[in-house]
Amino acid sequence: MSDTQWPRYEVFKQDSPNQPHKAVGSVHAPDAEMALLNARDVFARRPKAVSMWVAPASTILSMTAEEMAANPGWRMVSETGEGEERPFLIFTKTSQRRSMTFVTHVGVITAVTAQEALATAVANAEFDAENVWVWWVVPESAITRSDPDDQASHFAPAADKTYRQQSSYGFVGPTRKNVKRET
Amino acid sequence: MNILTLQPYLLALADDQMILSHRNSEWIGHAPILEEDIALANMAQDELGHATLFYNLYCALTGDDPDALVFLREADAFRHVQMVEYPCGDWAFTMLRQYLFDAAEMTLLARLTESAYTPLAETAVKMRNEELYHYRHTSAWLKRLGLGTEESHRRTQTALDTLWPLAQQLFVPLPGEEELVQAGVIPSSAQWKAAWLDVVRPFLTTCSLTIPADDTPPATNRAAHSEHLAPLLADLQKVARLEPNAEW
Repeated sequence: MSDTQWPRYEVFKQDSPNQPHKAVGSVHAPDAEMALLNARDVFARRPKAVSMWVAPASTILSMTAEEMAANPGWRMVSETGEGEERPFLIFTKTSQRRSMTFVTHVGVITAVTAQEALATAVANAEFDAENVWVWWVVPESAITRSDPDDQASHFAPAADKTYRQQSSYGFVGPTRKNVKRET
Repeated sequence: MNILTLQPYLLALADDQMILSHRNSEWIGHAPILEEDIALANMAQDELGHATLFYNLYCALTGDDPDALVFLREADAFRHVQMVEYPCGDWAFTMLRQYLFDAAEMTLLARLTESAYTPLAETAVKMRNEELYHYRHTSAWLKRLGLGTEESHRRTQTALDTLWPLAQQLFVPLPGEEELVQAGVIPSSAQWKAAWLDVVRPFLTTCSLTIPADDTPPATNRAAHSEHLAPLLADLQKVARLEPNAEW
């Protein structure tokens, strides 16, 4: 079946200034500007967020630890030495816990190709490759970032909308009495 | 100045938001893509929130019940402009209507933040940030519709030809305006309109749209409505009217 959708963008959300950006899902959009707007509406209508990035899914190199183990030759794909070096953002997934299903931004590596950046990251102790389940490598040039000046209008209003949180709705009347806590 | 003079103004602001919110909510489940379905539902919910804030200010002066105002009022007592009661039409019409309204709201709220009536100024501050986002969203769409394909341009221009005169009704002065302006409670409608034109004229032109020559508002007061209001209210009020005294 042919794909009539707009291109897919991966969305990275930062919850507070000192935390890394985390992948939260994807949106379809005709261009990066619309992708950022769509990302705001889909992923930041509830608290909280202070910044968002989007990158076309097609620009992202993604590999799981399983894929790496099954194809030891993955490193050979890179053509080191050709072209200019540029920064790649490295994202990893290090936990299988439900609340941490997505990859988190962990650093930047300068390389000529995404494969080369990935190989460098895997070899670098800082990235703790043994505990990584999934790697994403995103060329910095493919990322569009939200403007810090837009934080007040894009993200701050959601903080007042506690009615959009599941937690603002308690149990209804008698139901609560019937719930027995298991400890 | 007696602050009760502000009543018609607050009701007009609240009704505009309420009816537009209801129209936009009709897109839920029908928007062209999922992401936009969510975005428009978000905006409808924001406008509903703004309506609530304005109804609360109004009811603080009149002692009315906001729910009764919305769900049990007769059509001829609503004071919104006809622009917001028109059916959604196509996507170009919906986006352009929201854009023209957002620009009006944005320019008005900027002035109301300095209102001498503190509750109104505080309410405007609260809404303003949200409205800046709406404007960003709808102007991004307008640019793409106006400069997109031949068909998207044609549809958007057709929408503008209908909406331009309708939008002018926003700036028809309400009873008591002079007194309120003098007391520093609201900006004059002429000043508001000038600020709106400064925003929308150059922008629509960059979208390759032609501003229609006809800028005659559909009515000179807000009691006059089009044939579109009765069916809208029938839908909006049908559940509440089944059992007017029900407790929710």
